Amino acid sequence: MDSRKNDPREIKTKVDSYYKKKSYSYLLKLLTIFILSITQLSCSPVKKQNRIIIASAGKIDSLDPAQASTLRALQLISALGDPLYRIDYEGNLIPKLAKEKPKVFNNGLTIDIPLREGVLFHDGTIFNAKAMEFSLKRFMKIGTQSYVISDRIKDIETPSSYLLRIHLTKPSSSINGLLTSINLTPISPTAYANHKDVFLNKKFIGTGPYKLISFQPEKQRIEPFDSYWEKSPQNEGIDYINFINSSSLFGAIKSGEVDLLLSNSVEDGHRLALNRMSQQGKLLEGEGPAMEIGYITFKTNSEPLNNKLIRQALSYSLNRKLITKKVSFGLREPLRSIVPPILNKDNKNLWPEYNPQIARELLQSSGYCSKKKLEIPLTFRSNVPADKLLALIWQEQIKRDLSDCMILELNGVESTTVYKQLSEGVYSAVILDWTGAYPDAEAYLSPLLSCEEIIKDKCLSGEAVISGSFWGSHEVQQGLNQSEKNQGFNRLQDLKEVEQYALKGAAYLPVWLVKPRAWAQLNISKPEFDGSGLLLLDRIKKQVE
Amino acid sequence: MNRQRALFKYLASRLAIAPLMIWLISSLVFVLLRIAPGDPVDAILGNRANEVAREALRAKLGLDLPLIKQYLIFILNLLNGDLGKSLTTQEPVSEIILRSLPASIELSFCALVIAILIGIIVGFQGISNRNKRTDLIGRVYGISTYAIPPFWAAMIVQLIFAVTLGWLPIGGRFPPTLTEPNITGFLLIDSILNRDLISLQGAIRHILLPASTLGILLSGIFSRSLRLNLEQQLDSPFVEAARSRGISKSRIIVNHALPNALLPILTITGLTIASLVGGALLIEVTFSWPGIALNLQEAINQRDYTVVQGIVVVISSLMVLISLTVDMIIAYVDPRVRY
Repeated sequence: MDSRKNDPREIKTKVDSYYKKKSYSYLLKLLTIFILSITQLSCSPVKKQNRIIIASAGKIDSLDPAQASTLRALQLISALGDPLYRIDYEGNLIPKLAKEKPKVFNNGLTIDIPLREGVLFHDGTIFNAKAMEFSLKRFMKIGTQSYVISDRIKDIETPSSYLLRIHLTKPSSSINGLLTSINLTPISPTAYANHKDVFLNKKFIGTGPYKLISFQPEKQRIEPFDSYWEKSPQNEGIDYINFINSSSLFGAIKSGEVDLLLSNSVEDGHRLALNRMSQQGKLLEGEGPAMEIGYITFKTNSEPLNNKLIRQALSYSLNRKLITKKVSFGLREPLRSIVPPILNKDNKNLWPEYNPQIARELLQSSGYCSKKKLEIPLTFRSNVPADKLLALIWQEQIKRDLSDCMILELNGVESTTVYKQLSEGVYSAVILDWTGAYPDAEAYLSPLLSCEEIIKDKCLSGEAVISGSFWGSHEVQQGLNQSEKNQGFNRLQDLKEVEQYALKGAAYLPVWLVKPRAWAQLNISKPEFDGSGLLLLDRIKKQVE
Repeated sequence: MNRQRALFKYLASRLAIAPLMIWLISSLVFVLLRIAPGDPVDAILGNRANEVAREALRAKLGLDLPLIKQYLIFILNLLNGDLGKSLTTQEPVSEIILRSLPASIELSFCALVIAILIGIIVGFQGISNRNKRTDLIGRVYGISTYAIPPFWAAMIVQLIFAVTLGWLPIGGRFPPTLTEPNITGFLLIDSILNRDLISLQGAIRHILLPASTLGILLSGIFSRSLRLNLEQQLDSPFVEAARSRGISKSRIIVNHALPNALLPILTITGLTIASLVGGALLIEVTFSWPGIALNLQEAINQRDYTVVQGIVVVISSLMVLISLTVDMIIAYVDPRVRY
């Protein structure tokens, strides 16, 4: 026994084992220190400020109102600048930088807009009619979406320091809605003197409640503007951060890393989870007016969808309730009109409800169902998860209800390609969405239906071609033209009639309606939206501990 | 031929070929972008713009010119070191690259350090305990890191450390409430240069999750190749001879086997660096890391031809440069290499 105890090999093994254990113990200690240091770092006072962190999806490449087109950029510009008018939740035109509502005269060809006095730009210069003229003309010259107004505006004048006069090419009642556009937010002529013809992406000098402190594509900082003409913001500033994917956005609000999350590009599964959290009292949810419509365009100038009966059959075959429940768990609303109901309340249930029996009868009358099956290629944007789910569910639903009559063949294409090929007539049926440039029925009807050249019911050039339907109607065109000449109730009636004609043509199939939502932590006030679906950043309050 | 002369000749020929390679790559990208469906004008204006507006923008961006003329302008500008301006924002492409490349390099460097450290520890443990439980665990670990999809791993890591435990931020590169230091573009270095501890903490907290995820995923390559190469070396006659002379196991591994086993690791490291310079797209996307891969992806989505071309040219040039450097280092440290 003793000899084994003194065996040098045995001793060496024991020593090795001792050192091994010791080294593991050191490693464990190091790991503990590392974890502790991380935990301590997480307690750093970085977030304990009276500022609000708002997260939204995607980068912001430009803050130039002539260039910005994404919702996230427009959302930020809406806090940095004021438009002439804003639309409230009830759809009323509220003067902002304009002093009162526009005065139309000269047979609808001239509009006078009296402007507010005593308004300053963030660089200290004065806002007046010249500044507004500069901003409008700059947008018309270099604005990426200048085509929206360039056709309508003939000239702009400034008869006095605070009066803007717009001469139109033809009477246009929809110009009122256009004047609420964030893209027409005035900018300081002094600050943009060297950028009359080029974009200024990383700065913004407007008149809004906030001024821009720093700009990076993935992070922007704004702080209240001390000399703001109206009520000051209810917070001390906003850090606006942009994450790329829905999971990060969801995780950021759930973990409390951000104070408020905007719903754009948040996937439906995450929206549902956030909605449930708000119902459980863990978050506050605010929702804006439903302005985004999801719809399907049918190409009407070639077989088989040139047959109106088939298009109508497809309208009857779509179970919106089931689809919205499966895709968005009920957070998207079924839609049976191509104008959001908030803009056209009487026309909210135009398109037919789901009825496979009528769909079958219509297909039978077109020669299908007995031996012949109708094959419809349905294209969806492969980078939009909701579209893919819609396509899959509709396909399965048709298999269940009308398998002897019809087959949907699915085809996923990246959205940039879809937009490019839409007017080339590549897609027989394609799932798309649309948000009007301003909250007005016309901003939904014209882009889908207006047509410059119509032969029979085929559109050869115009918006209907760009939309991919190629469907044209003289009645629709007359209705749209008439609506531009009328105001108020008569105008609304004209637009309602236009939508009735669109229903008869069945070139579009409305599917669902999407409301903008925002979720806030419990120490933040409930998010509020304006009538055009933009979050009112200046009304967000934070309870400081 | 003298070895040094042969190496010089080899490097000279590689350097001479490099511009040709870059030209070929950039030409290929130029052509492929134009063949691909989609249009930058659509991406900028949307598909609702009228033909007049579209044509005006096309002319402004130079997209109305014949393709061959566009190509010649691109190549001429490239020769002058001008990568052009972004079609969507009109921002110089060089500025976009300068802004995003440091983010990718910083992430790649940290990930590589983590990968090498873990790889060496796991590899060593495996070879020290050959065919034992530790070795088996190390081998399974190595294979697992190959097999796990990066985006999945990244999301799980986010879920655990950012959402559930709340220890680290879920994404981004710097705390939104702080002002980024702006000296070199490398935020860790800039925070140190500014002697700003809070900024440094913020930068470390933000890089920890993406770098660890990427590092762990890459570490398997290092651990497995280190173990395999060490095993080969330990079975070789010169190690047997060292053992018979009574040299200790640890000395044999560290002094005799390791230097030889590290040579293939050096090659792998070079290749990994070269691929990481192009950014780790899935990691950058998941963690919203504003690196070059993320910019490239967005530019492709927007059909921003000039940005895509510029990024590809810069990445391919860096790749050529890095692989050349690695070749030089290998030639320097390994006298057996012949050219």
